[in-house]
Amino acid sequence: MEEFIKILSPEYINLTLSNILLNHKNDIYLIIETVLKIAAFYGGIMSLAGLLTIGERKISALMQDRIGPNRANIFKFTLWGLFHPMADGIKMIMKEDFIPKNASKILFTIAPVISMVPVLVVFAFIPFGNYLDLGFYKINFIILDSDLSFFLLIAISSLAIYGTFLGGFSSGNNWGILGAIRAQAQMISYEVVVVLSVLPVIMIYSASSLSDLTLKQSGTILGIIPNWGIFVQPVSFLIFFTAALAENKRTPFDVVEGESEIIGYFIEHGSMRFAAFMFAEYVEIILFSMLASIFFFGGWQVPYLNDQGFNLGSFFIPINHYLIVLMQLASFALKTVFFSVLVIMIRWTLPRFRFDQIMRLCWANLLPISVLNLLLTALIIRGIK
Amino acid sequence: MIRTKKIESKPLNFFEKIYIIEVIRGFSVTLKHFFINLFFPSKIPTISYPEEKVLLPGNAKLKSRHRIKLRSDGTPKCVACMMCSTICPADCIHIEAAETETPVEKYPKVFNIDISKCVMCGLCVEACPEDAISMDTNEIAGGAYSRFSNFQKDGLFLTKNELFIKLKDEKISKLGAANRLENEYGERND
Repeated sequence: MEEFIKILSPEYINLTLSNILLNHKNDIYLIIETVLKIAAFYGGIMSLAGLLTIGERKISALMQDRIGPNRANIFKFTLWGLFHPMADGIKMIMKEDFIPKNASKILFTIAPVISMVPVLVVFAFIPFGNYLDLGFYKINFIILDSDLSFFLLIAISSLAIYGTFLGGFSSGNNWGILGAIRAQAQMISYEVVVVLSVLPVIMIYSASSLSDLTLKQSGTILGIIPNWGIFVQPVSFLIFFTAALAENKRTPFDVVEGESEIIGYFIEHGSMRFAAFMFAEYVEIILFSMLASIFFFGGWQVPYLNDQGFNLGSFFIPINHYLIVLMQLASFALKTVFFSVLVIMIRWTLPRFRFDQIMRLCWANLLPISVLNLLLTALIIRGIK
Repeated sequence: MIRTKKIESKPLNFFEKIYIIEVIRGFSVTLKHFFINLFFPSKIPTISYPEEKVLLPGNAKLKSRHRIKLRSDGTPKCVACMMCSTICPADCIHIEAAETETPVEKYPKVFNIDISKCVMCGLCVEACPEDAISMDTNEIAGGAYSRFSNFQKDGLFLTKNELFIKLKDEKISKLGAANRLENEYGERND
């Protein structure tokens, strides 16, 4: 009894708590840091995806000499159409949640979730900045740093096809199944090319984690050109860009959706289920933009900027550490937004390919070129060594 | 016998087959439009109707929204003869006649036009014996949020308030039988 009272006494609890805090100080810091990073990074991605939905409509409008959506307002205050994503969300929630008679209920329900989760998980491996030194603590701007992050990324992001396929297959609609079959063929084919096109970059920088890859893209080639993947492997970049665009099912390669013929794998999905598929597509655009900037445009690297300051040849300007961190974060954000806008612009510029053209482009053109590129890179690296 | 027409398509040259250069050419077109419209939004030909209204070119303004002309004393020239509502193929004109103290004797107590039904054929203007109804207001009807709210509130329903108007620098016309009668009596009274 006396022992029990002793344990319950405030002094004892205080002592234990302070002991725990002292012994596990680093763990607690890590938890707080990770939660903050997840909140900031995923919040940024979600808001960018929301902005891309209105951005797509505005950009397409400007390219076609139209004004674009500008009527959603709160108290007659339109904010250049920025309320339209909100209006879309409200509309989607208000719609009837419908499951067709022939559909498999469980698969039909979880398919949108499956299509969103792998895409969102992959962002954990993406370095969105270098590090922030607070004096007593150092924050790495990456949620989960792993030596195998490149392979994890490929493995997890290739799961996204299950959502697409199950969505079409479970709906019990023939058009949906047709879209799902096309999606399967297209996404699996182009996944091979995506991986093969990135491998030369991984080989040249000899890094298998994305943070390591970004770090090794610092410095310059020949003193002027930034040491980025695009300048080392331009062919790789073109193949990666095309193949990743095809894997995103975006417009030059959109027979999967085929808005004018079959509606595609989400034909029976309405309300928020459809919204989840659409949102997954926009998040995939962001993922693709981030990967393109990490593999080929140095990720968070700013040209000629190292840990101390701006450095070009014998020219050197020291810059505050916090300013450098800000510049690196801004650089990554800017590259991501640039590629996202480029992907949207490609949709509104290029005509669609036929399905046979898509498959021929993959297996007869891109795959041989990427394999040749891989072999050539391997030979050159071997020769130099 | 089946007749066929052979279409000769030009074979693609090397640069067109590579496709990258053609992509850049396509981009130069869309980007030109994008940046011009981004930095000079006034160059976009879209009119934000109904907030923004443009003057119609040439004789197009003779097929714009209706109005009833007024006499010099402000009364409508319409004598409620029902010719326009009879000829109207869309049946969109509603008139209720009433008596006046003037020698003209009749005037429209209610004159409504449902523009959402109107087909803009102009037969009412042709039919009018008094040269009262005309379609020269230079306003395009349409693009409204609600069909039955008033025209002034971005609706499509015209009542006397919107119809019985005098245009800017308009000469008062003295055409029409009843009108001439009114004018003559008016002059005699003066």
